[in-house]
Amino acid sequence: MTAVSQRVGVPLETRLAVEDFLVDEALLLDDRRFDEWFELFTDDLVYQAPVRVTAKRGHEEIVDTIFHFDESKQSLGLRVRRLGTDVAWAEDPPSVTRHYVSNVRVTQADAPGELVVRAYVLLYRSRGDRGLHDMISYVRWDVLRPSGSSFQIARRRAVLDQAVLGTKNLAIFL
Amino acid sequence: MNIFSSADPAERLLASVQPEAAKIPAHIHTDPEIYRLEMKRVFGRVWLFVAHESEIPERGNWVVRDMGEQNVIVSRGEDGQLRVFLNSCRHRGMKLACEDRGTGKSWRCPYHGFTYNNSGNFVGAPYQREAYPEGIDREGLQLIEARCESYAGLVFATFNANAEPLDDFLGELRWYLDILVGRAEFEVVGVPQRWIVPTAWKLPAENFASDAYHTVTTHAFLAKLGLVKGVDFGKIGYHVVPAGGHGLGIGTQEEGPWYPAELRAEYESRLSLDQLALMDRIKNFHGNVFPNMSFLIPNVIEIAGKRVTGMTIRQWQPIAPDQIQALSWHLVEKNAPDWWKELGRKTYVQTFGSSGMFEQDDTENWELQTRNSLSSLSFDEPVLLDYRMGMGGVPMTDFAGPGEVYEGKYSEAAARGFYRRWLDLMLAEK
Repeated sequence: MTAVSQRVGVPLETRLAVEDFLVDEALLLDDRRFDEWFELFTDDLVYQAPVRVTAKRGHEEIVDTIFHFDESKQSLGLRVRRLGTDVAWAEDPPSVTRHYVSNVRVTQADAPGELVVRAYVLLYRSRGDRGLHDMISYVRWDVLRPSGSSFQIARRRAVLDQAVLGTKNLAIFL
Repeated sequence: MNIFSSADPAERLLASVQPEAAKIPAHIHTDPEIYRLEMKRVFGRVWLFVAHESEIPERGNWVVRDMGEQNVIVSRGEDGQLRVFLNSCRHRGMKLACEDRGTGKSWRCPYHGFTYNNSGNFVGAPYQREAYPEGIDREGLQLIEARCESYAGLVFATFNANAEPLDDFLGELRWYLDILVGRAEFEVVGVPQRWIVPTAWKLPAENFASDAYHTVTTHAFLAKLGLVKGVDFGKIGYHVVPAGGHGLGIGTQEEGPWYPAELRAEYESRLSLDQLALMDRIKNFHGNVFPNMSFLIPNVIEIAGKRVTGMTIRQWQPIAPDQIQALSWHLVEKNAPDWWKELGRKTYVQTFGSSGMFEQDDTENWELQTRNSLSSLSFDEPVLLDYRMGMGGVPMTDFAGPGEVYEGKYSEAAARGFYRRWLDLMLAEK
């Protein structure tokens, strides 16, 4: 387990602050406070979700030239503004979502003060009248930048755990 | 008339599907027997899109795709030729390729080790002499191969030995495909996004072929966000009905060429003057190659002072009467400047594809149409849906391209053409 042995620890209080931040972020998403959620991102944001393929062992499983999300702060803002209109049918009535964030690992980034945060997310999504739900599982790498007494997200990379997505659209945020 | 009392699904269709009277019954989307029949009579008979040539550029490259219910390997052989094989070993029918893509000279079955080269020939099996002391029938073990032909980089295949040549199948649509993907050398960016949509496959096909009118309502957010001037961005242009069940809509603008000037020379070398003139006026461009390959140049929008769009082709791959796997490719001109590739990719992801702001609302419609189609199966009478828009329209006589062409995009003529072709195939026993 190379990754584990190379882990550069951060102070316990840093890890707790990061975990609090992730929990707060999930709360904003699941409460649909998207305008406040949007403020968590830096202006130079890169927010991407690459596409997974089914491959033999030893071959590339993640294709990093095409994406499910490929966002800047500006384009993410457009998505948020769209949800604020009265014609965003795919999410009106909205999905009920619950972002379960776990397995958080915090390391120092190359840039001073920045942190690399790797976490698993299990996104529960329920909509409609059939008592059904989608479970969208992914791993997330964030680069957090200190901002005031908390952080901002400068990079987000979300790798979905399905080559063929089992949810009808990604009208929700990862 | 209780049409559902007939045991013969073809009889039920004949009694209820009336494209020329603009009446299409809801149940045809989800009736399991109709689905069984269309797997044979539609997907088993016509040319089906399987890949873009740029996905398998080198000898030995292959990708796995579906043709109706058949899982196939689309391969570029050692001789450079494209071939399509049923992804099934001749010994016990096990899948040969279990991954999405690869490169190599052969496939080895995981079950008993039967091995085939990428021309489809059997090349050996473990302990062959001991297991088959009387010799092995190499010719009889040739992989089952579909016919495979390309047009403008689009690779199609069919298991129907009697199908017309691909050029004839595409027919009048070719003039428009030249503009879409023949105007330059195109390449697929990465791999197709794939996701499961709870819709019957004909609903998205019909939407792309014929339906510009839904944009006013379904995609009203575009105007609300100020990305276009009015909600009627899908109105001005042409509605095109080529022969053969294909269909397309071409939105137009009069502000001149919308693509990078660097690409102009390549377009000029590949298009006629008429095609080029239309190319320069495109605002959006959508359509469907019968039965289930759609294409789209999304409405050109302005981002950071630049006019951009992100082209896509897709396949609505049926996996059940009420479910598809959507495959969505993003393509770009290989010789385009980097800024166009970058902005095109971002615009594609933002507008269409799995998270696309347009696509989200479309999937919502198709899912709930499918639900009502299922419920219509429990009525005695068919639930007839209205396809009259543009009935009595007079085709233009001065349009440069082939097919029936109507001025203005609000029409359902291409949908009527789609269902006519579908019905003809469904009723034909041979």
